Amino acid sequence: MTDASPPHVAPSQGPVFLDLGERLRLRGQLEAAESVARAGLAHFPALTEAHDLLARILADAGREVEAEAAWTSALGCTPGHVGALKGLAYLAFRRHDLEAAQDRLEAAAAALPHDTAILAALDRVRALRPEASLGTHATFGSPAAGMLLFDAAGLRVAGHADEAGSNAMADAAAAEAAGVTMEAARTARILGLGPWREVIVEGETARLIVVPLDDANGLLVRRPPTTPAGRLRTLAARGLAGARAWLAGDGA
Amino acid sequence: MAGRGRGMSAVAWAALLDEVTAIPGVRAAVVVAADDGLVIHEAAMGDLDSADVAALAAALVRRGARLLGTLGGGRPQVLQLGGAGGTIVAAAGPDPLWLIAVAAPEAELGRLRLLLGDRAGVMR
Amino acid sequence: MRVLEPWVADPLAELLRESAARLALVMTASGQVIAQHGFARSLDVMAAAALGAGILASTRELARLTGAGDDFGAVVHQGGERGIWLAGFDTPRGRWVGLVVFGAESSVGLVRLFFEQFAERVAAATPPPRAGREVLAAGFERELDDSLRSLFGSGA
Repeated sequence: MTDASPPHVAPSQGPVFLDLGERLRLRGQLEAAESVARAGLAHFPALTEAHDLLARILADAGREVEAEAAWTSALGCTPGHVGALKGLAYLAFRRHDLEAAQDRLEAAAAALPHDTAILAALDRVRALRPEASLGTHATFGSPAAGMLLFDAAGLRVAGHADEAGSNAMADAAAAEAAGVTMEAARTARILGLGPWREVIVEGETARLIVVPLDDANGLLVRRPPTTPAGRLRTLAARGLAGARAWLAGDGA
Repeated sequence: MAGRGRGMSAVAWAALLDEVTAIPGVRAAVVVAADDGLVIHEAAMGDLDSADVAALAAALVRRGARLLGTLGGGRPQVLQLGGAGGTIVAAAGPDPLWLIAVAAPEAELGRLRLLLGDRAGVMR
Repeated sequence: MRVLEPWVADPLAELLRESAARLALVMTASGQVIAQHGFARSLDVMAAAALGAGILASTRELARLTGAGDDFGAVVHQGGERGIWLAGFDTPRGRWVGLVVFGAESSVGLVRLFFEQFAERVAAATPPPRAGREVLAAGFERELDDSLRSLFGSGA
């Protein structure tokens, strides 16, 4: 028999277990809060806020691996969910993975560009990341990195330009990025700017940098609109190093 | 597009472009229409041909906008082409106008970007 | 691309590549075709050459009459999907005319830029006229037929 009115859920008022679970969490009654959240999730497995609540409870309890799984589930329900992104950033920060923390916070800032708490956290994480350490992580090839390697003919060689890892979008981006490189090379040649080094495009909801890898290949990096231009350059430099290693066989 | 770039007096255009070229290292400033690549206003072009700058910068802006559009990045606001011998910075004004500056390698890019972004918004 | 004068080939190929032009026609000021790209039928080339040369000649005359001078540059028609660039340029063999049809992937600015480079390269590469090579009215039809045959093959 199916219970049409589960505990803590009043059909006319929506999933009130969320409020109850949060109140218990804030009082430090984590076991009770968890049972409320799990009971609610059993009835609303696709409810993003329920996964988010459970993740916060688990994080408070120090069960970070489980919390990460819950926030990842929340993102699965609602890609770009700001609460989940902030939570994952927090967990990454706790384990000193500043790069991941920054990536998550930048994604959150892209969704809420005027949220001062997110921007302050982002500034803090950026300030803690020495530039010298940026070249040591090979993030090329991961969809989350937003890095796409393309050839002069506009064909995708490797990587993706969005977090979802869409091949169709990556193919289209490769074709357009090759056009940008041709135009950049021509403009730099005719106007006497010397060999071109970068094209930065700043849009309302994304920032891009396109850089030449060699005569045959180029690299596109896509980041949220809050990414400073200087950081785009740093990311591109790191991406180029990763791409060279990948082309040399390290990542193939 | 009829009337583009005609919302400001010649004096106002000259003042705007002079402000850009006053930044050390800026070789030229030009307002272009991105759709046809033609010059609307220009200042201090030196050895550069304003029509060439306009045509090439507009073509690059269009390419960049297409790439950004493919990735769902919204309307382009700033585009920057960096070369070993200089940089072009372009800031979007009201469609289809773009404020373009050509800068030498030693120019203060940060200041130039801020100024272009600020002044491009007042073009009409 | 088909050309009657070999030194036009490289500059025209560069113009086509750089400007992404869809159609191009190079002719003398009297409408005799020198080179073409993109036209499928000889009749179209003949008509375009005659119209282009005529438009440029009449615009030039209009400019002279209105005091705009005879160095008026180019005639541009910007359509919804395609634009037309029509301009004259001087060569050692007299004034020639270029007609370029371009689409949204190009722009007036780009066509102007690369047309100027094309005109400079053609002018620099064109040898001086050979004596007795003037096109006479009586031989014009035969010259035209020969030109079209060269531009479209023997079936033209």
